[in-house]
Amino acid sequence: MQEPTFLILTALAAGAQHGYGIMTDVTRISEGRVRLRAGTLYAALDRLKADGLVTSDKEEIVDGRLRRYYRITDEGAAELATEVRRLRANAAVAASRLGLAGGTV
Amino acid sequence: MTEPQLSRAAGARTTRRMENWYRRLLTLYPKDHRREHAEEMVGVLLAAAGQEGVGRAQRLGQHVADSADLIGGALRIRGRMALNRVKRARWLSWKVRDARWSDALAVVSVVAPLLLLVAALTEFRIPQAVASSLTGHAHWRLSETLTLADLPMAVGAPGVTVLAFLRLRRLAGLGALATAIGQMAAGAVPAMAGYASPAVAFTVLLSCTAAAALLLSPGPDRGLALLTRSGAALVGASALILGGFSVGGNVWFGTGDAGFGDFGGRVAGLPADLLIAAVLVTVAAGCLRAPVSRRVLALLAIPVIPYVFLWQEKLAGDLFGQPGTAAPLIPSSIPLLYLPPLLLACLIVAGTWLARRRATGRADRVGSSGPRSAVSA
Repeated sequence: MQEPTFLILTALAAGAQHGYGIMTDVTRISEGRVRLRAGTLYAALDRLKADGLVTSDKEEIVDGRLRRYYRITDEGAAELATEVRRLRANAAVAASRLGLAGGTV
Repeated sequence: MTEPQLSRAAGARTTRRMENWYRRLLTLYPKDHRREHAEEMVGVLLAAAGQEGVGRAQRLGQHVADSADLIGGALRIRGRMALNRVKRARWLSWKVRDARWSDALAVVSVVAPLLLLVAALTEFRIPQAVASSLTGHAHWRLSETLTLADLPMAVGAPGVTVLAFLRLRRLAGLGALATAIGQMAAGAVPAMAGYASPAVAFTVLLSCTAAAALLLSPGPDRGLALLTRSGAALVGASALILGGFSVGGNVWFGTGDAGFGDFGGRVAGLPADLLIAAVLVTVAAGCLRAPVSRRVLALLAIPVIPYVFLWQEKLAGDLFGQPGTAAPLIPSSIPLLYLPPLLLACLIVAGTWLARRRATGRADRVGSSGPRSAVSA
């Protein structure tokens, strides 16, 4: 799973969010390292929707502009959990080989 | 107007310009994606552009980066759609939609491989060899050893026929295509330039017709189910033409003194030509009554066109001198042999397309008038 995809699913794991909310949340989660732009975000959302990992939720009009919310599906949550386990296992191996086991990684 | 009001007005103008620019870039996206997401994307882009505490230079950089990212997103989505289409496509599963043309192609998928086999048999004088072995007639002999230029027909024609009748339609179609390409490649080699004769143009175009019929129709099963008595007679007459041109004529009707070695000697004498022409015209006239038969004849006319040149060369020999010695009225050349059949094929494709458009238009009109009449009733 690519990092932007992982971060979008992570952002949605806490609850449904609209496009701009996902963008700002991804920046916050990655501590400013990853900054999604609209083209990248909607290309990713389009793919995630096609794969059934994300779905559209409610819509609202704010300041005359459409806001559509997206939420993670059960399949998306399972995929994210699998990826978390994989990353955690890799991180644990790397930490133990660096002698960081028990310390902060 | 006060300074804050002027600043607000300038900001609104900038936002409008940016919105128009983003909307123009969004036209790069597929229509469905645009319908679904364009409005919210514009909202997100303007919200991101309107962040507080961002300097003018930084804002410009962000605008350029957002624009580039929008173009990149459109390319990613379109690329993914194209890839999905390629993955979903069932290769070699295209079929002609028009039922009559589909049926005509199905009939041709039976007829063309058979004609190809007959053409190969006569080209390599197999019937003469068989007759020679049965009767001991010294005049009928097998042709010289096969050359490289003969290989496509020698291997392709029987292969295509066997595959077609084993119901391996797509494989037979690809085989016919390979036979046509092989013959053209052989004709393109300078040492084999003499190979580009009307007889070869006939087998090249016949292979192409067989390939199109096998690849674009339901195949020989449907063709055999459609072949009526007149259709079978058409097949017989076409085979007779080929056989008559190359074998029978000067044995049963011809002058008898022409050798098989020269081109003119291999074609039938004038009485045989007239008999064959009469048979073909009668059968064709009988077939013209049915719409599918008319289409079958149009399709088979594609490879037969070069025979007009073959025939006029031969007639020149029959009427004005010894076969093969008199100058033909129109000397055959590659453009003359291949362009008219190509034009006919294009006309058939264009005609089919126009007919489908007309039929769709009619269906639309009927569909749109239906509910209106229901309402008025």
